[in-house]
Amino acid sequence: MTVAPTSAAFRELRLRQFRNFAELDLRLPPAGVAIIGDNGAGKTNLLEALYYLEIFRSFRGAPDERLVRFGEDGFFARAAVDGASGASEVAVGFERRGRRKRVSVNGAPPERLGDALGSVGAVVFSPSDVALVAGSPAERRRFLDIVLSLNRPGYLPALQRYRHALRNRNALLRTGASPALLLAWESGLLESGGRVMAMRAEWALLAGAGFSRRYEAISQGQSARLAYAPSVPQAGELVDAAQAAELLRGALARVAVRERDRGVTLVGPHRDDLALLVHRAGEDRDLRDYGSGGQQRTAAIALRMVEAETIRQARGREPVVLLDDVFAELDPGRSRRILELLEEEEPGQAILTAPKQSDLEVRRGSLPHWRIEDGKVLA
Amino acid sequence: MPLIDDLTAELARLPGIGRKTALRLTYHLLKRPADEVRRLARALESVAERVRPCTVCGNLTEQQPCALCGNPRRDPTLICVVEESSDIGAIERTGEYRGLYHVLGGRLSPLEGIGPDELNLRSLLPRLGGADAGTGATAGAPGVIREVIVATNPSVEGEATAVYLQQLVRPLGVRVTRLARGLPVGGDLEYADGVTIAEALAGRREL
Repeated sequence: MTVAPTSAAFRELRLRQFRNFAELDLRLPPAGVAIIGDNGAGKTNLLEALYYLEIFRSFRGAPDERLVRFGEDGFFARAAVDGASGASEVAVGFERRGRRKRVSVNGAPPERLGDALGSVGAVVFSPSDVALVAGSPAERRRFLDIVLSLNRPGYLPALQRYRHALRNRNALLRTGASPALLLAWESGLLESGGRVMAMRAEWALLAGAGFSRRYEAISQGQSARLAYAPSVPQAGELVDAAQAAELLRGALARVAVRERDRGVTLVGPHRDDLALLVHRAGEDRDLRDYGSGGQQRTAAIALRMVEAETIRQARGREPVVLLDDVFAELDPGRSRRILELLEEEEPGQAILTAPKQSDLEVRRGSLPHWRIEDGKVLA
Repeated sequence: MPLIDDLTAELARLPGIGRKTALRLTYHLLKRPADEVRRLARALESVAERVRPCTVCGNLTEQQPCALCGNPRRDPTLICVVEESSDIGAIERTGEYRGLYHVLGGRLSPLEGIGPDELNLRSLLPRLGGADAGTGATAGAPGVIREVIVATNPSVEGEATAVYLQQLVRPLGVRVTRLARGLPVGGDLEYADGVTIAEALAGRREL
């Protein structure tokens, strides 16, 4: 018998001058809380602040300056947590002047910001997640990069090295540098790129079944699947980093002439995608092009659940689920099945928001309900 | 007070010194005896006038060739290639290396516009008995150098520079090696960062 993993949780949150919160001090119940408020009251801002302490940037893609309350010099956020990797306190301060960001975990600054990523162990479900499915490949690469950076040791440094080598190589291609110089940059590109591709391929293979199962459960029998769609042919098979690097080397050689014309690197992890396919009438169709709004939302939610699964497996703790008004625009049947699935699979702390009370039946309605109004939380 | 402002502005141009530190240094200097300040000024003047890159290896020196190149007890069959003169000090302090050096004066960095022409490569090939990239002339003592040790930094740029050097040097029949990467000696495995441990694992050796 396996011992049930313990859960990650936010225990206390302190915000200063973050978005529309001038001063906020909250004690969060272990099971979670349902937060109800009108549009513009600050529901999403609160989840944004919590998840900021996981990745140190806005999940909405907002620049740090815009997170500072209007007219203030900076913001501060701190949470007492039961972190997935042993953290008990995560804090961050940002100063608008000089755009300085200070992160600390358990009171001390991490050696690198990357070391502090994922200290809590949380997943956000947001209506904007539909862009994961309907948006450009860049959205899915960003998803992959965040999931893997937080859950696979070595992924982030490899990605950073790859991007750095890529920028340098592109600069060379633009200026028409000699083949010898291009070759000098290739080894760094191949080594880091190979690692990135191998980790993406391995994750997609592991996550595929979980994605299909959840998609089916929510959509009542429709089938969908997830697959790594690398820009380098065959790199989607289970390969190790050295094999992936060799595949990348071959692919680069094949596009060498075109690259010189175009002045930019044409293949590699920076051109990868994650294929999300729905099976219909005997064939696989891309959900991005052929999925209905409901199917795309369902796939996005299934992806987030797979992300939660990844955290659970990598860190042995139930992640915190942050649900931002996820049931908007879903038909009642789908909403109910998503709730059921969350009940079954996500026993960790759940912090959710909605505009009306009736939308909130997670944890069978057992969560305390708080109201939020104009940056103030009324417990 | 334009003189004080001038000095502050000059100090603030130094790496790692911001406006506040520059001000503090300026007022500190103003409080010291004039002799002491003159000594600093003379020291600055002399390095500016007398210290030049060694014509052979590129190391910063007051004599030509530098003390390392001119030392007959150094092993003339080994050349260690470093990015900056300051790297020589680090290697010399180990007392483990008895060969010669070659200072590149930087590393390849296309993003900063630094290519092979911006580095001190022109004088390296003749030392190895290869043709000078510019003149086509052969100089030095061909065949004397047995090994080139590339000691550029383990950054993406340093690695690219190393690969580029290897391409240049290998056709000359000279052995090219690279410094190993791994765990710091005397450190705790527990406190080493993940990237370093991963490198050390990848480069593990048979016992």
